Amino acid sequence: MTTVLSKRDVLTVSAPLQRTPDPWADFRQIEIVTLELTQQYAHSLGKTSRFFLELEARRFFATRCDGCGRTYSPPRSLCPDCLKITQWVELAGTGTVEAYSIMHFASGINDDVKQVELPGVFAYVLMDGASTLFPHWLRCEPARAHIGMRVRVAYTQAEHVQHPIHLMYFEEA
Amino acid sequence: MTRVPVVVGVGLTPFAANRVDASIRDLVAEAVLACMEDAGLLDLKAVQHGLASYESDHFNRQMTLGAILHDALGLTPLPNVRVEGGGATGALALRTAWAYVQSGLCESILVYGGEMNGRSVSSATANGLFALSADADWEMMVGGTYTAFYAAMMRAHMQRYGTTEAQCAHVAVRNRRNARLNSFAQKPMDLTIDDVLRSKPVAEPYKLLDCSLLSDGAAAVLLATEDWARAHGTRFRERPPVYYCATGCGTDTMRLGDRYPEITNFRGKRAAAQAAYAMAGIGEPLLEIDVAELYDSYSGVEIQAVEDLGFVPAGQGGAAVASGIFDADGYLPVNTSGGLLGRGAPVGATGIAQAVEIVQQLWGELPAGRQVANARRGLTDTHAGIGTICVVNIFERRD
Ligand SMILES: [Zn+2]
Repeated sequence: MTTVLSKRDVLTVSAPLQRTPDPWADFRQIEIVTLELTQQYAHSLGKTSRFFLELEARRFFATRCDGCGRTYSPPRSLCPDCLKITQWVELAGTGTVEAYSIMHFASGINDDVKQVELPGVFAYVLMDGASTLFPHWLRCEPARAHIGMRVRVAYTQAEHVQHPIHLMYFEEA
Repeated sequence: MTRVPVVVGVGLTPFAANRVDASIRDLVAEAVLACMEDAGLLDLKAVQHGLASYESDHFNRQMTLGAILHDALGLTPLPNVRVEGGGATGALALRTAWAYVQSGLCESILVYGGEMNGRSVSSATANGLFALSADADWEMMVGGTYTAFYAAMMRAHMQRYGTTEAQCAHVAVRNRRNARLNSFAQKPMDLTIDDVLRSKPVAEPYKLLDCSLLSDGAAAVLLATEDWARAHGTRFRERPPVYYCATGCGTDTMRLGDRYPEITNFRGKRAAAQAAYAMAGIGEPLLEIDVAELYDSYSGVEIQAVEDLGFVPAGQGGAAVASGIFDADGYLPVNTSGGLLGRGAPVGATGIAQAVEIVQQLWGELPAGRQVANARRGLTDTHAGIGTICVVNIFERRD
């Protein structure tokens, strides 16, 4: 007998609709196999790349539209209101929490997220000088988090991060 | 002669956490066979067009699934189109079918869809895959999940309007209670407000029982011109005709933060509702709609929805919900199916299944306790992301 390595289970299942006679009576033996799908991408961060490169130098950048005066943080290379190309501006890195959630589970989407301490505060911050909200982890005692809380960008002391967005986080100002 | 589509037939599979007995093509076939039987349609090949509704190549682990489903149903060589709109996929599929019939491209179109969002992957993998439908360069890499985005919105709503966790819990209790009268529902439950408040926190203020379900399931709706329906749907003549009379769509920015300072509610939903109301000639939705299926991906989302759909003014959704006016015996019953919280949410089927509930309400074919008396006009509300793509569809009985 050849072994089927992907075979996970063989079951005899009942009809979920309990019809009599079961129109699918001949199809009640089921095999479940294990499948995997992993890929690696050379993913360009495109025209917002400078934001991530400046984080390495511990500078926090946004983009500003000369047409409407709005400042985008996170940056947008093209102003969606004016369709004008924006300009890079450096912000002070301080701001105010406008919305937040205390998360008890995270997505584990990358190694950086797997290391986030839970429960953790996922905060939307209006950076001083910006017009939009920047989402990131706010490292503080969860019970201290509140709308209106003053925070600032902090830069990681970790030896390495996997994704450059994790060069930063927020802390109480 | 009007080309406003009528509903010829509807079909569903039960929604379940894990349909181990079926692949996605098996599930869709089940729903379509049920739809044919419901329509009294003798030959599926009499239908002139197919429309496949599903969201995710990743969950279904198959690209070009639309072609596979179309083939499994024996619909080749008929024309086919696949529609995707995140969480709004099923409702956007119906809206597309509406336009196909209205344009004269076809006289009849079978909308079929489903998703395997259940236990074929771990819930961690499911969360990761759903996070791919957030902004993949920013929110996803930070580690945010949709539960957290919705939770942050609700926190802002609570801060601005005084909405409470107990008001959210009312939705979770009612919709799961409604599901007890639906034998196709995944999670019928008899809960108290305290059960919800004491359930495990997921992303505060949302707890486990505030969150909708991950489901396997499929749904189908056959739409046609009235002439086609009379000629081919043998049961059409026995029932009061139900017209798919209006549809509206609105959108908003992908990231919540880019909507600042409007972060408590769904702007796209307001736009979708206004468009649909204008088309249906509705001025006072609370008075002119008899039954509705609302997109309760999280309990508080229904509170935001009743505001954005114009049932109550902004900020009064929490109190309105808690007053019971949207309960099964209330003034405007919503989510009589159980909603996403109680019936379940296989994404590609969700918006279609909402329409199925409304159409069955208008036909008057649901069991006592779930059937809304004299329902003549019903609405579905469906959205993607955090209200990023919103679709409102309206159905009307005209006899
Ligand atoms: Zn601008």
